Amino acid sequence: MTLENGATFRDGLVAAVPVVLGYLPIAFSFGVVATQAGLTAVEATALSLIIYAGASQFVAVALVTSGAPILVTAFTLIAMNVRHVLYGPAILKRAGDRATTQHAWAWAWGLTDEVFGQALGSLSRGAGFSERFMFGLGLPAYAAWVGATALGAAFGGGALAGYPAVQAGLAFMLPALFLALLLSILSRRQVPVVVVAAAATVIGTLALSPTVGILAGMFCGVATGILRRST
Amino acid sequence: MNVDLLIIALLAGVANWAFRFLPTRFDLSAGGPDSRLSRVLAATGPAAICTLFVASVLPAVLHLPKDAGALGAGLIGVCVVFAISRSVAGATFAGAIACGGAFWALS
Repeated sequence: MTLENGATFRDGLVAAVPVVLGYLPIAFSFGVVATQAGLTAVEATALSLIIYAGASQFVAVALVTSGAPILVTAFTLIAMNVRHVLYGPAILKRAGDRATTQHAWAWAWGLTDEVFGQALGSLSRGAGFSERFMFGLGLPAYAAWVGATALGAAFGGGALAGYPAVQAGLAFMLPALFLALLLSILSRRQVPVVVVAAAATVIGTLALSPTVGILAGMFCGVATGILRRST
Repeated sequence: MNVDLLIIALLAGVANWAFRFLPTRFDLSAGGPDSRLSRVLAATGPAAICTLFVASVLPAVLHLPKDAGALGAGLIGVCVVFAISRSVAGATFAGAIACGGAFWALS
């Protein structure tokens, strides 16, 4: 049935498990950092609820608490997430004839880096696209992000302080997920894209900043894909 | 709630929603499988995921040698389990367990 009707909501829930487990420690950390920087628990949770973009939320806390102007802060956060514009079209292109966007106004909100990667990986492994699947994948991830932020803001960072090995393992969840996703979608044709993206990320990060590194990696990787002719 | 913070959050949140949703309204039917648009979209996934992977491990790499053993164990764990099982979830968990275990063993 999955192949005929597309992946189900339940398939999406299953695919969301590693994303949720990766989000919990990071969102919890964000809650801790935000409250330690002077935000209330409600404000910290509201940032996760309204912005829902991890790295830019940490930057938001840093800028707000340093007294940066509102517009400068807002445009910085917006610039950090420009990369998301290609995620929806990339998924729909991979979905092919099955692509539907009737409820995209809702499920597209959940297209974070990790959800995008997991969706693309699932499609690459043969799951048929459906909007039910996108909701099943996106909703638990969003709930985990907001919920863990609230927990971190409410209870502080002492919960796992006595278990550094557990902290190390949880902190590695997202890098592990990205690597596993990369392995799952990688083809010989895309190797130059990956090599150039990795090199540009390292150079941009070391030369300027992590944000520049991410934008440089994506831009140079995609540019390599454009320049590369079929063989 | 701080009004300035709320304004910043709303501006950034609306922009995020627009970045994620509005491009899904584009007509993707133009061009063949080797068109410029197709190549852009085909390269987006590998480029984005590779970029995010490198960006996520780079801080740990720069702190060598403190976390090198745990990081290396985690990366090997992901690759080995993915090669055996072809499971993203299984490889992710294996990597996290290997990283945490190595951190515990080496500390």
